[in-house]
Amino acid sequence: MVLKINNISKQFGGITALSNVSFSITEGEILGLIGPNGAGKTTMFNMITSVLAPTSGDISFYDEQISGLKSHQITTKGICRTFQNIRLFPEMTVIENVMTGSHCRTKSGVWKSVFRTKSQKQEEKEIYDKAKQLLETVNLLKERETLGKNLAYGQQRRLEIARALASEPKLLLLDEPAAGMNEQETVELHRLITKIRDMGITILLIEHDMPLVMKTCDRIVVLNFGKKIAEGEPKAIQSNPEVIKAYLGTEGDDDIA
Amino acid sequence: MLGELINPYYLQVASFILINIILGLSIYVTLASGQLSLGSAGFMAVGAYTTALLTTNFEVPLLVGILAGVMLAGIFGIIVGIPSLRLRGVFLAIATLGFGEIVRVFIVNTESLTKGAIGISGIPQLGREILDKLEVIGFDPEILGLKANQFTFLIVFILLLIIVIVLVCFFSRQKNSRVGRAFSAINMDEQAAASMGINVTYYKVLSFTQGAMLAGLAGALYAHVLSYISPADFTYHKAVEILTFSVFGGSEVVGGAIFGATFLTLLPETLRAISEYRYMIYGILLVVMMAYRPQGVIDEQMMRWFKRRKGRRQQHGTENK
Ligand SMILES: Nc1ncnc2c1ncn2[C@@H]1O[C@H](COP(=O)(O)OP(=O)(O)OP(=O)(O)O)[C@@H](O)[C@H]1O
Ligand SMILES: [Mg+2]
Repeated sequence: MVLKINNISKQFGGITALSNVSFSITEGEILGLIGPNGAGKTTMFNMITSVLAPTSGDISFYDEQISGLKSHQITTKGICRTFQNIRLFPEMTVIENVMTGSHCRTKSGVWKSVFRTKSQKQEEKEIYDKAKQLLETVNLLKERETLGKNLAYGQQRRLEIARALASEPKLLLLDEPAAGMNEQETVELHRLITKIRDMGITILLIEHDMPLVMKTCDRIVVLNFGKKIAEGEPKAIQSNPEVIKAYLGTEGDDDIA
Repeated sequence: MLGELINPYYLQVASFILINIILGLSIYVTLASGQLSLGSAGFMAVGAYTTALLTTNFEVPLLVGILAGVMLAGIFGIIVGIPSLRLRGVFLAIATLGFGEIVRVFIVNTESLTKGAIGISGIPQLGREILDKLEVIGFDPEILGLKANQFTFLIVFILLLIIVIVLVCFFSRQKNSRVGRAFSAINMDEQAAASMGINVTYYKVLSFTQGAMLAGLAGALYAHVLSYISPADFTYHKAVEILTFSVFGGSEVVGGAIFGATFLTLLPETLRAISEYRYMIYGILLVVMMAYRPQGVIDEQMMRWFKRRKGRRQQHGTENK
């Protein structure tokens, strides 16, 4: 079991963003996490990555408790995420963004950096080469010297994925990677996500683009008003009456069929 | 020959420029991780008083005194830096300014130790001490055609220049490394930085402490160059002046502190008429810079442009071979 969410609840003052949600992810799987706006999907990511602490419940990663750790410790353990509202390092170049992603897999401190020791140079070269390779994977190699903020929207989303991959995650959390992408880009995104899975990385995907979700995911968990209302394979989810009701209730801005 | 060229007054000004560059760097390095500290005057006072008291009262060697000043400023940096992690932007600026005032008031009020507002005089002079050491081994500045006082100013200038060059190399290299990237990442987006596995607490305290140590070093050197210090040297005016070096010159790059400190130290020296109004000018400069060029005169883009030009020229060079 890669990740086990155990009875997680989260309260924001009077709002219950998540209530007693449990599910788990097995190795090599692409698990979809869907639900109408405000269902609690991003909150779940924030629980997993310790951006916020759950009100109750716990989370384990490869059978090890991770609730209570700091965000950076969780990344070091092997969970990395992207953000719904893109959070790149805007004034860094594309390649610097990706190299920064390697932070927790490298060691050089102040003295090694200042004295440019052999091991430091070696390390810098390694993460530079790795960053180039990752940029190739997300098709941004040509833009490597561009500043993060000067990329087009879809490119920024891909850069965020490359940056996350640089931290060598075992589990990758993607928060609406297709948001703002055109049809062509979405097709490429689908290819990219399956390619990442084939690299041996387990994926938890939040997405509103239903065709993409149905095509990409092995299994889907559906949240509505903070509760898990369904879990299963894409076909079963598509025809689940609870799910259809939940989505119709939101005036159909997400078309499940 | 050399004797005619060396003017103690110019060397004195140049030495102050170098000390101010160190102060500018102290702002630069704390800002690198997104923390605006106005505590530099306070940390400077810690460094200056530590070495002044040790060397005048206990005849501790200068080097030991200066290092003690730097270390103590660094310890204060950690002590102030950790609780300050909760504070951002202007709140951090106010808290650190408060720290500076606490240090100053403490110095004024502990007369038995610090001589209060009167200050400490007769602090061993850096140049004089070096000359004494050299005379012991039979050196005479006459060999260089210099009078003793010319030599002391010259040797202080050279020593400070070496220190500044070492520091500039140190911080330029740090910037282009894993540590520097961690600082910038935190500066740009703390939450994203943490999500990339960067220990935000550690790096923020590190950068704050480095800034404190630099200010402490500048203070210690200042004490031994001037040989007289008083609490009036470390008021909040000084804190604002130090901030102006960095903000005017450019707070994103090491070169900014160098330019800012040099320009703003020379300005009142060359234009005596301005000297009286310097704090007013600093105020105006800060407002104008914030409105039109918040990153300062020298910014990252300018440095990149230089680098690219240099790169291109080198390329041409190899092609021509
Ligand atoms: N930091 C916060 N403070 C207060 N309330 C919050 C906070 N974060 C989320 N919420 C609330 O929790 C609920 C769930 O929000 P969440 O962002 O998890 O939804 P979501 O499923 O990601 O929605 P969307 O599809 O729009 O991104 C919402 O009602 C939201 O307003
Ligand atoms: Mg969301």
